[in-house]
Amino acid sequence: MRSILRVGAMATVAATALLTAGCSSPAADEPTAEGPVELSFWAWAPNIEKVVELWNEENPDIQVTVSKQDGGDPAVTKLLTAINAGSGAPDLMQAEYQKIPTLVASDALADISEGAGDLEDKFPEGVWSSVTLGGDALYAVPQDSGPMMFYYREDVFKELGLEVPTTWEEYADVARAVHASDPKRYLGTFSANDAGWFAGMAQQAGTSWWSIDGDSWGVDIDSEATEKVASYWGGLVEEGAIDNKPMYTPEWNAGLNDGSQVGWLSAVWAPGVLSGNAAETAGLWKAAPMPQWEGEEATGNWGGSSTAVTSQSEHVEAATEFATWLNTDPEAVQALADVANVFPAATEEAEAALTTAPEFFSNQPDFYDVAADVAETVSPFTYGPNVNVAFSAYNDEFAKAADAKTESAFVDALKAMQEITVSDLKDNGFNVK
Amino acid sequence: MATSSTLTPPLRSRRDSVHGHEKPSPVATALLLLGALYCLLPVLWVLMASTKDGSELFSTFTFAPSTHLFDNIAQLSAYRDGLFWRWMANTALYAGAGAIASTFVSALSGYVLAKFVFPGKGAVFNILLMGVLVPGVILAIPQYFLMAQLGLTNTYWAVFLPQIISPYGIYLARIYAAAAVPTDVVEAARTDGSSELGIFARIAMPMMLPGLVTIFLFQFVAIWNNFMLPYIMLGDDSLFPITVGLNGLLNQGASAPALYTLVVTGALLSVLPLILMFLLLQRFWRVDLAAGAVKA
Amino acid sequence: MRRRSHRFRSRVLTPYLMLAPGILLFAVFMAAPILYTLYLSFQRVEVSGLGLGSGARKQVFAGLDNYAAALSDPEFAASVGRVLLYGLILIPCMLGLALLFALLLDSRRSRATTFSRVSIFLPYAVPAVISSLLWGFLYLPSVSPFYYVTERLGLDMPQILSSGLIMFGIANIALWGGVGFNMIVIYTSLKAVPNDIYEAARLDGATETQIALRIKIPIVMPSLIMTALFSIVATLQVFAEPTTLRPLTNTLSTSWTPLMKVYRDAFTRDDIYSAAASSIVIAAATLLISFVFLRVVQKRAFGQED
Repeated sequence: MRSILRVGAMATVAATALLTAGCSSPAADEPTAEGPVELSFWAWAPNIEKVVELWNEENPDIQVTVSKQDGGDPAVTKLLTAINAGSGAPDLMQAEYQKIPTLVASDALADISEGAGDLEDKFPEGVWSSVTLGGDALYAVPQDSGPMMFYYREDVFKELGLEVPTTWEEYADVARAVHASDPKRYLGTFSANDAGWFAGMAQQAGTSWWSIDGDSWGVDIDSEATEKVASYWGGLVEEGAIDNKPMYTPEWNAGLNDGSQVGWLSAVWAPGVLSGNAAETAGLWKAAPMPQWEGEEATGNWGGSSTAVTSQSEHVEAATEFATWLNTDPEAVQALADVANVFPAATEEAEAALTTAPEFFSNQPDFYDVAADVAETVSPFTYGPNVNVAFSAYNDEFAKAADAKTESAFVDALKAMQEITVSDLKDNGFNVK
Repeated sequence: MATSSTLTPPLRSRRDSVHGHEKPSPVATALLLLGALYCLLPVLWVLMASTKDGSELFSTFTFAPSTHLFDNIAQLSAYRDGLFWRWMANTALYAGAGAIASTFVSALSGYVLAKFVFPGKGAVFNILLMGVLVPGVILAIPQYFLMAQLGLTNTYWAVFLPQIISPYGIYLARIYAAAAVPTDVVEAARTDGSSELGIFARIAMPMMLPGLVTIFLFQFVAIWNNFMLPYIMLGDDSLFPITVGLNGLLNQGASAPALYTLVVTGALLSVLPLILMFLLLQRFWRVDLAAGAVKA
Repeated sequence: MRRRSHRFRSRVLTPYLMLAPGILLFAVFMAAPILYTLYLSFQRVEVSGLGLGSGARKQVFAGLDNYAAALSDPEFAASVGRVLLYGLILIPCMLGLALLFALLLDSRRSRATTFSRVSIFLPYAVPAVISSLLWGFLYLPSVSPFYYVTERLGLDMPQILSSGLIMFGIANIALWGGVGFNMIVIYTSLKAVPNDIYEAARLDGATETQIALRIKIPIVMPSLIMTALFSIVATLQVFAEPTTLRPLTNTLSTSWTPLMKVYRDAFTRDDIYSAAASSIVIAAATLLISFVFLRVVQKRAFGQED
């Protein structure tokens, strides 16, 4: 009989273990009278842990630990999984602006409007509306923004006697000239990997992919303006004036190094990427405002992120205090600009912090003056609750189009993207206009 | 080639010993060397690439070595106060301790399934074996939810515990136990009054040892290869294994450059201990998948 | 109960007690997640209004909707078709090469066998995430040594990452990582054969090639079948290689293989419910294919034993 008892005992032990484990979930970060509050912070901005160190030195009561994550998308994925599961989320999270509606829809973010105080005046209007979604709640404190700019190899332009394009028409001509000078050389590439990049271009053309109309969402990805952008790029790819390979690949890196990528439509954070990927080309690049469509000077936004407090945090107040400090305290903003290489979103603090051009652009001392002017021309844009779906549809559909190399395929890709995005919203029961 | 055979005691099979008497076939040897070259080429590439700095990696001929290996290692070691070495230690822990635990559980289960006759044996074995068919990607999400219920996500346990159970390991252990442990030896020990666990630990385990080393290596590689589970379970980067850590260095988001030199150097450093282990333990690699299948 | 009651303890309880750790771990970490996946596959999320704020989403019973959607999804069907084609390319190549290398290692007339065995086995130690990154570098024309060489020679080497060849590119990575393991499996079973058999054949005047074809291959047939089975299972689950290569090219979609689609639905689209249904379909199909495969080959290979 002894063995039977043993089985019973084992089963009981196992069951108790499961039960107690289930009940006494994360007891570790409960606030205690003695110890400091410990906050976890998922982020991916380079060197952000060095900025956090400043806070930790000054605030022994609130200690923040950075966990580096894969850039934007995977971190959001992981956060959503943790939210679905009911535990495992950090206190603080670096969140890209376009992810905020998705995160809010999944109830992943805490409303910090009470603790944050009056921050509205510190940030540009467009940025502020993307962390409030146009309502009274505040879901994150803006950290940095990515107004888009045009980067080009000044030496190559000189060699070929080219002028910096100010309109898209000129851009197309320059692209043809560059490619004609050497079949391996391109002024740029159409990247089906970077939906945020294409969204920024659509933003510049004056459209917004989502809109809120009362109680329903509007989706307007295949608007006239975006179609104009898509067929413009489709045309350039079709005639071969522009490369069709994705960005951020070893091959693209090689292109930046060996001068076969002569230009890059990027954002204000480009110096960090260029210096990391093609350090040898320092001093050869220059930044200019984006080429323009007709009408008012405008640009889009690519990248940029905010600091959000998650709905699972047990220290919302402390976390809010940190998030506010990180993005508005002059010392913190200075550090963000210096070591994390971001373009801080807080207007005045950024201006004070960004006085000298990045080292990589030492040939262009007015780099940040150009950037500041460009930043003022960012068009408004609204992101919806299923940006993830739209962006993965962009990856698939535009990859096909870029591979097909025809203008009509680009327009079709845009239509498919619209359809996938709308039907996803409808399938999930969202009100869609 | 001479060095590799001094480094590693080769499998001295009966046929190796008579090599000298046969006429060597250049075609056969050439084919083997061609296969070896194919398999070594990418490894050679990492070796060369890890000696280059950031720009050279993208500008010089890929198989031309440079002089930056030690700079790269220093840079990698300096990355966030030596986080890389933490990842290496984590990997050793997950794969090492995990494989030991897994080998023990597999050995015990395989031995019982091979040497005991009891009702439900076939059903137990078949159900366990079906586990082979379930992809890790599919298991990862529900395993995450389960771990969240237990409050264990983002801990070492979250990666360690789910990988102890290995249907492959149990399958292999059953084959080894059937082949290596004679039933009459077990019966004799039973007659002597030994406890069943005692028989397993003192008699069966030593007999199965070469097979168990294979299961250990097998499971070590499986855990070391499993990207999805730690990727999902862990948020704290000081708990990451090397694969998840290196992947993070590659995917820094649009506004930061991918750290290719660090990744390439990290890939080299992380594969080295495994290669060493393979060389040291290679004579144990005897994966007899089929001995049991014919009977089943 | 077939056994008499006083033997119950030793015959039934003891084996189950010793199996307890294995069964418990299996139940918690494999069976429970699978059952949970099954449960999820019958659910879906319903959002109300704008879907912002808490309480706007709730989980509701979906019946077989997710399954119907998965089975009628052309993307899913296309991914299954790709994986089948991929398997048709990969498995014969991998097992053929593994068999060839195993026979060569076992042949009396080969040299450099230790070196070759270790070298060919080595890639098994490289995680798929890393090996795909390495091969990715080797596939991209401007950073690849192959293209460098062919360009110098004035040859026009086709783009491996183009839509026509990408399948081979991915199969090559899996081949590279897997051929050594399968070679060792086959080699192990060759080693188990007593030498007398070959001596007898040699006395009869058989050449090495004849011995390999007529004696060795039939002997390793069971091993080949098992490696084929495991390769089929692994092929249906191909995920890491195309996922790592995807950002490098326009030719791989986010639903290129069934598991990539599961991953995308679950993680990128945050729709774990349809991902769960697709997972169950994949697991069931894997089970079915493995079962059918075993039935067919067992009749052929072991028919005479029945």
